[in-house]
Amino acid sequence: MHIPDGFIAPQMYLPLYGAAAGLWAVGARRIARDLDETTLPWLAALTAAAFALSFIALPLPGGTSAHVTGVGLLAACFGIWQAFMALSLVFAIQALLFGDGGVTTLPLNALAMGFAGALAARGVFLSTRRVGQTPALFLAGWIGLFLPAVLIALALGAQPLIAANEAGTPRYFPFGWSVTLPALLIPHALLGLGEGALTVLGGRAIERLRERYRND
Amino acid sequence: MIEVAGLHHDYGGQPSLVDIAFTLAPGEKVVLLGSNGCGKSTLLKILDGLIAAKSGRVDYDGQAVSPSTLKQPDWRRRFRREVALLFQNPDVMLFNPSVYDEIAFGPRQMELDDVDARVRHWAGLVGVTEFLDRPPFTLSGGEKQRVALAALLALEPRLLLLDEPAAALDPRATGWLVDFLADLPVTLLVTTHNLGLAPELGQRALVLGEDHRLLHDGDIEPFLADTERLIAANLAHVHRHRHGGLEHRHWHGHDWQ
Amino acid sequence: MPSAALERAKFLVWLAAIVAASWLSDAAWLAAGLGLVLLAAGRAVFRLTRRALLATLAFTGTVSLTYAAWFWWQQDALPLDWLVTVNLRVLLMALLTFLFIERTNLFLALGFSRRLSFLLVLAVSQSLALRRTLDEFRQGLDSRALVRVGLRDRYRAAARAAGWLFDRALANAHESARAMQSRGMFR
Repeated sequence: MHIPDGFIAPQMYLPLYGAAAGLWAVGARRIARDLDETTLPWLAALTAAAFALSFIALPLPGGTSAHVTGVGLLAACFGIWQAFMALSLVFAIQALLFGDGGVTTLPLNALAMGFAGALAARGVFLSTRRVGQTPALFLAGWIGLFLPAVLIALALGAQPLIAANEAGTPRYFPFGWSVTLPALLIPHALLGLGEGALTVLGGRAIERLRERYRND
Repeated sequence: MIEVAGLHHDYGGQPSLVDIAFTLAPGEKVVLLGSNGCGKSTLLKILDGLIAAKSGRVDYDGQAVSPSTLKQPDWRRRFRREVALLFQNPDVMLFNPSVYDEIAFGPRQMELDDVDARVRHWAGLVGVTEFLDRPPFTLSGGEKQRVALAALLALEPRLLLLDEPAAALDPRATGWLVDFLADLPVTLLVTTHNLGLAPELGQRALVLGEDHRLLHDGDIEPFLADTERLIAANLAHVHRHRHGGLEHRHWHGHDWQ
Repeated sequence: MPSAALERAKFLVWLAAIVAASWLSDAAWLAAGLGLVLLAAGRAVFRLTRRALLATLAFTGTVSLTYAAWFWWQQDALPLDWLVTVNLRVLLMALLTFLFIERTNLFLALGFSRRLSFLLVLAVSQSLALRRTLDEFRQGLDSRALVRVGLRDRYRAAARAAGWLFDRALANAHESARAMQSRGMFR
């Protein structure tokens, strides 16, 4: 979500930075343990792929398109911590080098998409894989897009509650949950179908590539 | 067939093509020479209507070619059928589940009745029949390029634009490609920075200089004999040679692979 | 040659300014801050303002218009105070960031951690190369499309691009690990 700076109150983004920082520390240690000396190049390559993924158009009916998030694909194929660290770096690069997104919305995106989204996608993928690879990848792609939208809608809708002036008028994002939830959840439930379809196809392609690497 | 006039293009303020003008007549086989980064690929993409030039015109049979004019369905259908571009990296053109479907992609859009015959004909001519059932991305670089070429030729285009088609080929495959293109009854514009190969691909050369201007348009042989202009185009260079204890300097055109 | 200490100082000043701007809800203070940033931008002021507006307009415009309409419907008035403060704050913060991006070498600013700056350099350079090739994937499909490409083929093409992306990423990871080893990066 490209929410510019200035809509999220510091009462929310500062604690979120604290929470994200803790998870980044854990993530860094987990990845370093799993990958040892290849950690840095691996993480850099995965970050680059996650960054570039957002430039792939998610095809929608009628010739239009939206952007791919790739949360489900990254989490299903590479695991929670790898997805979380790579996506966090993507948000940092977008905010600090290209001015996309924002620095005060960065921890919200990192926690909602990178952490909660990846966690849910990985969980759904692992628990439904017995049924079949295709439904597991599809659900991972769907939940990886939908759950972050729920969390971001909740965070945005909370702004009038946590930071209003004496008269009760909002100072940051102005709408409550009655507006943010339907406005974000309905389109994202549908976009999730496209993301799910692409996760199935992309996941299969990655699986075949890995087989090829194993055979070589 | 193609008429280019006053073409300028830049990327973020950096010029990539400056004041380009030339024409291509039907049946000509032309080589576009230039060092890396001089704008060859950009020019081909503009000719194929994929990128809008900053200024200037490209006409195909008298009709303007650009991303905006190609939004018009009838014009697009005709232009895309008659003009084909082979990208330097064949990966970016291949997305179908099998080589068969890849070659059939164009003919199926045309709703032709002889799709199967066309696929087998062109697969046989470029030598990829044995791969028809395989997904294209499992092939080697040279094989992918043949598949991409067959996929383009299955529509029997009039004008074929090829971007560094020999860059990823070994000497045997390069020899095959040269013979294959020579026999092909199409108008051809081929880019290369390989001086040894250039005269094999066409009689006329368009040369892009490092200043992104057209340095030469005409017969290829006199240009290849003009050392100073070769060096100016960064297609040849001077360096020291050691032959049996003697050392001397002379100009040199490397045929990179 | 910019010094790492200077770049780090600029980074910290920018961070402090962002946090300060995000606390402000007073139009006069916000306008004063905006004036300062515009002055600091100097000759780049129009270019940076344009970039800042382009980056924020879609979201800010939508929220401002819908909130104004809703407020009008509820109270027969415009939420002028909100409109002024929030739009000023968003523009101020975006301009601060674009000014920072223009004036600071982030890689030097983060040089306190060799690993972090190395990670960023590696990731950014690879991203830019991948992005260029993804552009070519789009053009590759475009050049072969005689008619409007159906949803199924567009999904196939998008998935193929994603697959290629991860293939490239795996190969790049391998290559840079080797390169780092040969330059004595580990142990």
